[in-house]
Formats: sequence, structure tokens, C-alpha cells
Amino acid sequence: MSANAWITATVIVGGISTLAVYSFLIKENPFYRFFEHLFIGIAAGFLPVLTLKSLLWPRVFEPMLGLDIVQFPDGTFSGEYHSSILLYFFPMTFGMLYYCIYSKRFGWLAKLAIGFALGAQGGLAFKGFFAEMLPQLGSSFKPLVVIDQGGHALIWQSLENCFFVFTLLAVMYYFFFSFKRDGKVGEVVAMSGRWLMMVCFGAFFGSTVMARLALLVERVQFLLIDWYQALSNILA
Amino acid sequence: MRNALQNLDRRVIYLFVILAVALPIAFQYRVTPARLPSAEKFYDVIESMDPKEGGIALVSLDFGPNTKAENEPQAKVVIEHLMRRRIPIALLTQYALAEGFLKSVPEEIAADLMREYPGEVWEYGKDWVNLGFRPGNLLFVQSLAKSKDMAAELKRDVFGTSLKNLSVFRNVKTIRDVRLLAEFTGLVGVFDTYIQFFQTEDYVPVFGHGCTSITIPEAYIYLDSGQLDGLLEGIAGAAWYSELLSQKFSGRKEDSSMVINTALGVAHLTIIFFVLFGNIMGALGGRKAGSRRVSS
Repeated sequence: MSANAWITATVIVGGISTLAVYSFLIKENPFYRFFEHLFIGIAAGFLPVLTLKSLLWPRVFEPMLGLDIVQFPDGTFSGEYHSSILLYFFPMTFGMLYYCIYSKRFGWLAKLAIGFALGAQGGLAFKGFFAEMLPQLGSSFKPLVVIDQGGHALIWQSLENCFFVFTLLAVMYYFFFSFKRDGKVGEVVAMSGRWLMMVCFGAFFGSTVMARLALLVERVQFLLIDWYQALSNILA
Repeated sequence: MRNALQNLDRRVIYLFVILAVALPIAFQYRVTPARLPSAEKFYDVIESMDPKEGGIALVSLDFGPNTKAENEPQAKVVIEHLMRRRIPIALLTQYALAEGFLKSVPEEIAADLMREYPGEVWEYGKDWVNLGFRPGNLLFVQSLAKSKDMAAELKRDVFGTSLKNLSVFRNVKTIRDVRLLAEFTGLVGVFDTYIQFFQTEDYVPVFGHGCTSITIPEAYIYLDSGQLDGLLEGIAGAAWYSELLSQKFSGRKEDSSMVINTALGVAHLTIIFFVLFGNIMGALGGRKAGSRRVSS
């Protein structure tokens, strides 16, 4: 099969799959069901192959077996084999303890591997949280009156900053449940926080609709241009 | 009539939406996109980079077919701009399904550029390198950021060639040689990983991001805090970036972002119409039902 024929076949199958999935919009049907199961099967099969091909073989087994070292035509090698790489065996064995979860007798061994993973992830998440949040915390300290180099107040920017700070405090206050909110002012601020969040959720919902439509646009473009072209080539 | 409209079959609405999307694509109708300052910032960042200063742009395409519609046009315009500016690019992904794009996107752009500028050459190994799928998530990103020799850390490209033999990595040693990090994804987790770990105590590379429409409100936080130096907001960001490129390079072949953006706009108008129409019909129906209740 030539490369062009292969590409055409791929496009044709892609188009049929797309139409099969969209046929659900009309009603539930066997055509849709078949492709749904096909996709699930492909996804389930794809992951183990990928793990073996992209991780276990090139990153673990190949270096351990020394297969990543190439001999050049002049007889020299691309690298030297270090037997210390065989130490990979120990973390691998430790990781394999996860599978003890299926045994009643040795189930406790899985807890060691899970505990290690939780601890490591927790530590990294802690570090990551600060690296991500501190700059945002710093940027939330905005001047309420912005003054340019000439000493003039920038009204619009100042209003923007005031609105930002009010929104930040109002939303935080809404989620402050440590004591009962009695005062009228507190209630108004909390209610404002709630309404501002509603605006935010509206923006999120609008963005979601936009993203979903973008997917539809791409598929329609594929059907009208690529698929139509491939079909025309076959029919011609 | 009012009854029929109130009980309108949802499939009729689907048909209208599909027609609204399909017609601009079928007739290749396009309108000039809205100006987006955040996309302009991204453009200016690349425009201000001097190729003579050395270093690379690390471009992470972390999207699959599920967000291809928005992320691929974004990646295309940014990679095209980098190639035009002759900034060497290292492409990689942390998302397995993106592997195909790492090959197709730069090859397609290089072919278009060589058609536009006969005699000039953009070639693999010199202008870009494909590092393929790199598993390991945050551990990978952290080890790359701390690496003293990136070529040794990454070892080989997707074809098995040692990076030390490719001119893209000739003068690249540490994270300081990464002058731009450009990341395109619809997955919040992958983006966070770069924000959190692709930095050292004294160096944070310039970071440009292309997000899907769903994550725009979240991405703005990072733009506001200065953690992002440029942002492409969904397909609209890609379309405005494309417009900026077309303004500067008049012989440029137009990409798909303009048509997608136009079709998206028409589809939005259709949905807004149906939302308003549905609410009006609902209100009228409610009033009628209410009056019936009162009279009975």
C-alpha cells in the first residue's frame, strides 16, 4: 500500500468514525455503539504499548542491557556501560510491590509502595504549590490609586485595581465560615462575593461552550475538506 | 405555531448549529479577528528575540485530537513565527497522543516557508528537533530544569539520533539556554507542571502559553501575575496571531485559524439567538400557563 493510499484510507476511516459518533445526536444506534466500543478498545490497548515503547524499553531495559550503546564504524563505542545501572532493579522491585494489593497475605507490602508514592508526591506538590501561588499572591497586592510618572492619577487603572481587590476580598469573605456573620455590611460583602462568583461561573460556562464548538468546527472542517477530497479521489 | 416552537425538537437546533458552522467553512468565508493584547504580547516576545544570541525555544505540544481544533492552529502560528525568525526549536510532549503533531506541524510549516522563499532552507536538526513523548510528568520537567547538560539529559531525538550530533543543541547546556518556553495544551495539569517546576532559583524562562477556551479564565490569572509573558486564548488568539504574521509577511500562506474563528463566531451568534429565543418562548409560555392557572 502506497503512502498516499494509506493517508486516504486513514481519512476515510476518520470521517466514518466522526459521522458514527455524531449519529448519536439523532438517536442511540448500533453504528454509534460499535464505534464507541472500538474507541474504548483502542484507548485501552494503546496505553500498555505506549508505556512499554516510550518508558520501560528505552528508559529502563535498554540501558540495563546495554543496548543503547552503539558501535561506530571505527570500532569505538558511543558510551561506556556502567554496571551501576543495574541498581534500577531495586526501585523496580519496590514499585512492583504495588501488585501485592491483590494478595490477602502480602497486601501490607503494597502499603509500603503506596506510602512512598504518597510521600514523594506530597513533597513535590508542596514545593509546586509555593512556586505557583507565591507570584499570584504577590501580584494581588495592587495599588488602589495608580499614579503615572508625571504624578497624574490613572482613573481607569485605579478603578480596575479597586474592583480586583474588592472581588478578591469579597469572595474570600464568602468562604469564611469560622464565625457567624451578623453584621449587615458583612452580609452585603458576602453576597457580593457570591454574585461575583456567579459572573465568573458564567464566563467559565461561556468558555466551555466556545471550546466544545471549536471541536465541532474542526470536525466539520475535516469532513467538508479532507474527507470530501478523499471521497472524491476514490470515486473519480 | 407557538406550541410547535415551544416543543421544538432538539435535533432541529443541532441542524442549525451544524449549518452555522459548515456554511462559512464551505464558502471559506473569513472575517478579520478581534485584536487580543495577550496574543500581541506573545508575538512581541518572539519578535524581540535575537537569533544571534543563541539558545533555543522549547515548544511543548501537550494536546491530542480532543483539543486539536484550538491548540494546533496556535502551535502552528508560533512555530511559524519562530522559524521565520530562525530561532532553533526543540519540540516535545508530555501527552502521548500528541506525538503525531510533533512531526507533522514543523514539517508542514517548513515546506510552506520553502515554497514562500525559494532558495532558503529550513531543515530538521538545524532549525528544529523532535524530542518525542517524554513521560515522567513533573519529575521529567524538574530534572530538565536542573540539568547541567540538556543534551545528555534528553539523550536522543525521536529518531534515535544523539542530540550531541544535532546543531540545534550545539550551544545548549542548561535551562538558561532555553530562551522561550511555549506550551500548548487543554490540560491544566501539564501546564501547571511547567509553571511550578521549569525554573531554577535564579532563572525563569520567558513563558508563552496557548490554552483552550475552557481554560481561558484560569490562564488569565497567570498572565496577570506575570507568570506568563504571552497567551493565546483559544482559536481567537491563534487567529489574531495569524493576522499579525500576515500583516508583517505579505506573501504568507493563510492558515486555518481564520476560517475556524469565523465559523465559531457564526455558531456563537446562532446559539445566542436560540438562548434568547428559548427564553422569550419560555417566558411567554410561563405567562400563559400562569394565566390559565389563575382562570381555573
